[in-house]
Amino acid sequence: MGERVKVRFLPEDLLAECPAGTPLQAVADAAGADLTFGCRTGSCGTCRVRVLRGLEHCSAPGREERDYLRGLEAPPDQRLACQFTVQGDVEIEYLGADL
Amino acid sequence: MTSLSALLLERTLLLDGGMGTQIMARRPTVDDFGGPALEGCMELLNERRPEWIRDIHAAYLDAGADAVETNTFGANRVVLGEFGIPDRAEELNETAARLAREVAASYDRRRYVIGSVGPGTKLLTLGHIGYEELYASYLAQMRGLLKGGVDAVLIETSQDLGQMKLAVRAAREAMAALALMRPLWVQATVETTGTLLLGTEIQSVITTLEALGIDVLGLNCGTGPDEMRAPLAALAETSPCRISCLPNAGLPVNRDGALVYPLEPEAFAAKVAGLAKAFNLNIVGGCCGTTPDHIRALAGALGSSGITHRTPVLDRSVSSLYLSTPLRQEPRPLIVGERTNANGSRKFRDLLAQDDYDALVEVAKDQQREGAHMLDVCVAYVGRDEAADMEAFLKRAVTQVSLPLMIDSTEVAVIERALRTAPGKCVVNSINFEDGDARARRVLDLCRTYGAAVVGLTIDEGGMAKTSGEKAAVAKRLVDLAVGEYGLDPSDLIIDPLTFTLGSGEEGFRRSALETLEAISAIKAAHPGVLTMLGVSNVSFGLAPAARHVLNALMLYHAVKAGLDLAIFNSAKVIPVAGIPAGQREAAEDLIFDRRREGYDPLKALMALFAGGAPRQEAAATDPDLPVAERLRRDIIQGAKRQILADVDEALATIPPLEIINGILLEGMRVVGERFGAGEMQLPFVLESAEAMKAAVKRIEPHIPKESATTRGRIILATVKGDVHDIGKNLVDIILSNNGYEVVNLGIKQPVEAVLAALEKHGADAIGLSGLLVKSTAVMRDDLNCMAEKGLDIPVILGGAALTRDYVEEQCQAVYPGPVLYAEDAFEGLRHMDRITGIRKEGGDPASLASRPGASAITVISRAGAAVPLTPEGQSSWVRRGLETPEPPFLGVREVQASLEDVFGFLDTFTVIRNRWSFTQGRLSDEAFDAVLSEKAEPLLAAWKARILAEDLLVPRARYGYLPVQARGDELLVYRPDRSAVAAVLPLPRQETGRRLSIADFFHPEASGQFDILPLQLVTLGQKAADLAQALYRDDKYMDYFLFHGLATELTEAFAEFLHARIRRELGIHGKDAPTLRQIFSQGYQGSRYSFGYPACPDLEGNRILLDLLDGGSIGVHISDQAQMDPEYSTSALVAWHPQARYFSI
Repeated sequence: MGERVKVRFLPEDLLAECPAGTPLQAVADAAGADLTFGCRTGSCGTCRVRVLRGLEHCSAPGREERDYLRGLEAPPDQRLACQFTVQGDVEIEYLGADL
Repeated sequence: MTSLSALLLERTLLLDGGMGTQIMARRPTVDDFGGPALEGCMELLNERRPEWIRDIHAAYLDAGADAVETNTFGANRVVLGEFGIPDRAEELNETAARLAREVAASYDRRRYVIGSVGPGTKLLTLGHIGYEELYASYLAQMRGLLKGGVDAVLIETSQDLGQMKLAVRAAREAMAALALMRPLWVQATVETTGTLLLGTEIQSVITTLEALGIDVLGLNCGTGPDEMRAPLAALAETSPCRISCLPNAGLPVNRDGALVYPLEPEAFAAKVAGLAKAFNLNIVGGCCGTTPDHIRALAGALGSSGITHRTPVLDRSVSSLYLSTPLRQEPRPLIVGERTNANGSRKFRDLLAQDDYDALVEVAKDQQREGAHMLDVCVAYVGRDEAADMEAFLKRAVTQVSLPLMIDSTEVAVIERALRTAPGKCVVNSINFEDGDARARRVLDLCRTYGAAVVGLTIDEGGMAKTSGEKAAVAKRLVDLAVGEYGLDPSDLIIDPLTFTLGSGEEGFRRSALETLEAISAIKAAHPGVLTMLGVSNVSFGLAPAARHVLNALMLYHAVKAGLDLAIFNSAKVIPVAGIPAGQREAAEDLIFDRRREGYDPLKALMALFAGGAPRQEAAATDPDLPVAERLRRDIIQGAKRQILADVDEALATIPPLEIINGILLEGMRVVGERFGAGEMQLPFVLESAEAMKAAVKRIEPHIPKESATTRGRIILATVKGDVHDIGKNLVDIILSNNGYEVVNLGIKQPVEAVLAALEKHGADAIGLSGLLVKSTAVMRDDLNCMAEKGLDIPVILGGAALTRDYVEEQCQAVYPGPVLYAEDAFEGLRHMDRITGIRKEGGDPASLASRPGASAITVISRAGAAVPLTPEGQSSWVRRGLETPEPPFLGVREVQASLEDVFGFLDTFTVIRNRWSFTQGRLSDEAFDAVLSEKAEPLLAAWKARILAEDLLVPRARYGYLPVQARGDELLVYRPDRSAVAAVLPLPRQETGRRLSIADFFHPEASGQFDILPLQLVTLGQKAADLAQALYRDDKYMDYFLFHGLATELTEAFAEFLHARIRRELGIHGKDAPTLRQIFSQGYQGSRYSFGYPACPDLEGNRILLDLLDGGSIGVHISDQAQMDPEYSTSALVAWHPQARYFSI
């Protein structure tokens, strides 16, 4: 098992730890984070999050995620939680909680 | 003294009866008229035999008439001219009016004198007489009547709209000149055909005359009372003017060689009084064949009852000589044909130069045939007399073309000439404020005089308005002037916010279409009733014709969505938006909405798509010189379903059948699988390959020796209990069975017992379980538990949308001793089968594939504080309380109409292509993937759209409604519309940690005593769609099955999204709707729509309650034992309006 990294989920303030390279959705599922997934393929946007810290520790967005977020005109710190792995400590905020 | 107009408010006014018959009864001689040349000139009798006329008036007044008509029916210059005395017109009218006035004044009760103005003997619109001559003729008559003291002017027995407009103008002019304003009445004569003499329908009369601002519009002569019923009904329903009705004494019959009007006084009176009551007539009387006895009887029949006032509803319209066309067309927009325009159509201009008027009229007729609702007419051509050309063209066009006209000129004199020549209510195109408002005022004067609507362009002293703000500001100025100051009805003002070409790529115009679209919405919102228009094709000026059609179609589409009412364009060149390939549409829409981004310019993209004409087609013929084995391999990879049969037949001659399957075809499928895995090949095309494989194997099967083992292994496949989704499972079936495996496909909703029974019966190398629902992931683990208890360790492959690899490899593997394998897609399932059968072949135990999970690699370090506390009412305290509940438009549930276009309008094409159809980039370069999207995916979507529309494959139906509701803990109490009782209780689970939300928390608690509102909705695409999907699968049309199923599924969502948008609008919470559809699809709106089976309310049983409340059965939607909806493409939801209501997971 390689390096372990920390993932903080806001607004609930849940802190979890996982091996570097773990998909964020696996961390959210396992830790019981208050974060909702829809299609898990990057096309419904239900799991949109804002990366408050450690954007550089998130794996680069693939084409699906890029195209989806561009369609929404989303700012660059927003990501789809089902589409990336965490390589270092990150702090993320779930965007589905309020309009 | 009661004024005439005031009297009309109180009761039905009784006019007199026929004048001509009364005169003829006195048998006038040549001498009475004053000589042979004057014989028949009734108007001269006012002078020569005044006692006759006086007696006739008196007889009618004695009979009870409130008013008499002057003996001036033919007293205009033109008719008197036929007797050689045109110049006596004014004088004779004045004499006649004074005579009647004198008789009326001799009565105690106030009696009125109505100046009769007949139609004359020449039809203006048919060119029997010139406008100026006829105008002078009536002007003299009007002056005489007014000077003689009439109480109202009655233009009667009218047959020609052009003459009516002219006479009204003459009356107005005379009143203004003499400063004697009198009510203006007009009566048309409807023939037994139901139209006026020239074929004008009554609605066109109403539209044309209403615009002139007259006081009374009615009918006289032509027929008897019975025949007037239908046109009177039209007047009563739509005309804002007061109504008069002076019928003949029935339709004339021939008695002993003489024409006789058959209705006797009592019968006539009963009928007319009946009409007066039925249609709330303001004025009645008689025409041909009626006598003082008829009027006396009518006075008795009318009695003294007052009048009930009508509430007419007039669709603001324009009109031609023949018909009236509402300016608000359904569906929008009203199409204004643009080809009768010398500036816009080379053909029209050339024909004009040749003075070929017949051919010019043909251009107009063509547009009528092609579906235009109105014609824009512009004959401005340098060096020619525009006014003369306009008149020459219109004179021919108005009788040959039935469409209303839009008069397009910058010259006030040309506009006036056109308004005189065109008989109906036209639209004038246009006014603006380029040089201030002086010219606009002159044109608006004309609009009032001739009864026309007007187009206002958003141009002011600063030039053409470019931003939506500037456009809206000029629009306000136009409204203030035309409606506020000139008193035009708001809907007679049509604002054209202008659009500019996007084809130039000029930076200053990049946002111009977007600004125009915004301006349309803004104008519609700011000025209710005011209409909008756009010359749509300007947007694409300078582009290639094919590109123009696409861009024009989409600009029109978005403009109509923004509220556009009228559009100027060539209706023959309109292409349906649904038929535009997605790639072209995206580029055009990106251009319209200026969605440029780094490395992407939609203008260049659109131009590239149309470079060299139409978009290119793919050609993929297999080279016949290749060896047959190689050809077969390629047939598989290319999915060449037909070619492969010929190649199979050829191969069977030389290659053993099993060798063809195992050595060649399966090798082809292996390559397909590899390419799919690498993302080089998209799933729909994989399915096409599988179809080719299926076709080939079917062809080969009869040639395979009976005893040969052809199967590589067997799998039992099922969708788990409680889940009806079979697409994923069926894909696995398709891929495995076309890669040499035998698949026992048990179907959907399979309890574990059924799976085990099949295993017992068939034996198998593996079990495959599938399911889409979140709930199904738990069912799979329970099934594994059950199998473990039975001592099984057969490999189990799991797949499904809500599953994750971690969940399978950890949670599921933990409860089962055999291998539990996660398959992300059908090909991973194939690889698992290959490994399982491979191990078995070598005598190994596939149980060794089971992973042995260690302790979870993911740990929770800390969880902040305790969960959010619940309120005393048992609701999450995270949710804000006490917000004002929106007002529903109604309580209860209803069916709602929606068209397929409505549904397509909300289609999330991104999800269709990327998710439902599995087009993913894989290892393709950006450019290669772009090409896949634009050349394969988008054309497929366009083709399916076109097919669905053309073949009516979907039958969308929906129900929705609003019910009173209160929350009680984890439940919603749904009340009957009248709140008299709880209609249903909806259980809604609560999160155990964190915010501890339940959907119930978004509604007022019962304890508050307040009622909240619960919107509910149900949509379905109908049984036909579900049947088609099943038929496609049964017939091995894998690709079509997959594509149609995916699209139909997403269209079901689109339909739900459409209805949800309507609900937000009706609740007035649509203010927070995001500006783009993509954002809307990502919950870009206030509140949330929750469907059972999804994370916030996973239990499908809720569907049963929703369907019951919505009476789903009435639109053919039923619920299965498993709480799934049938037919398949149906979905229900409950809607929360609360701003904090978003998706969450239980």
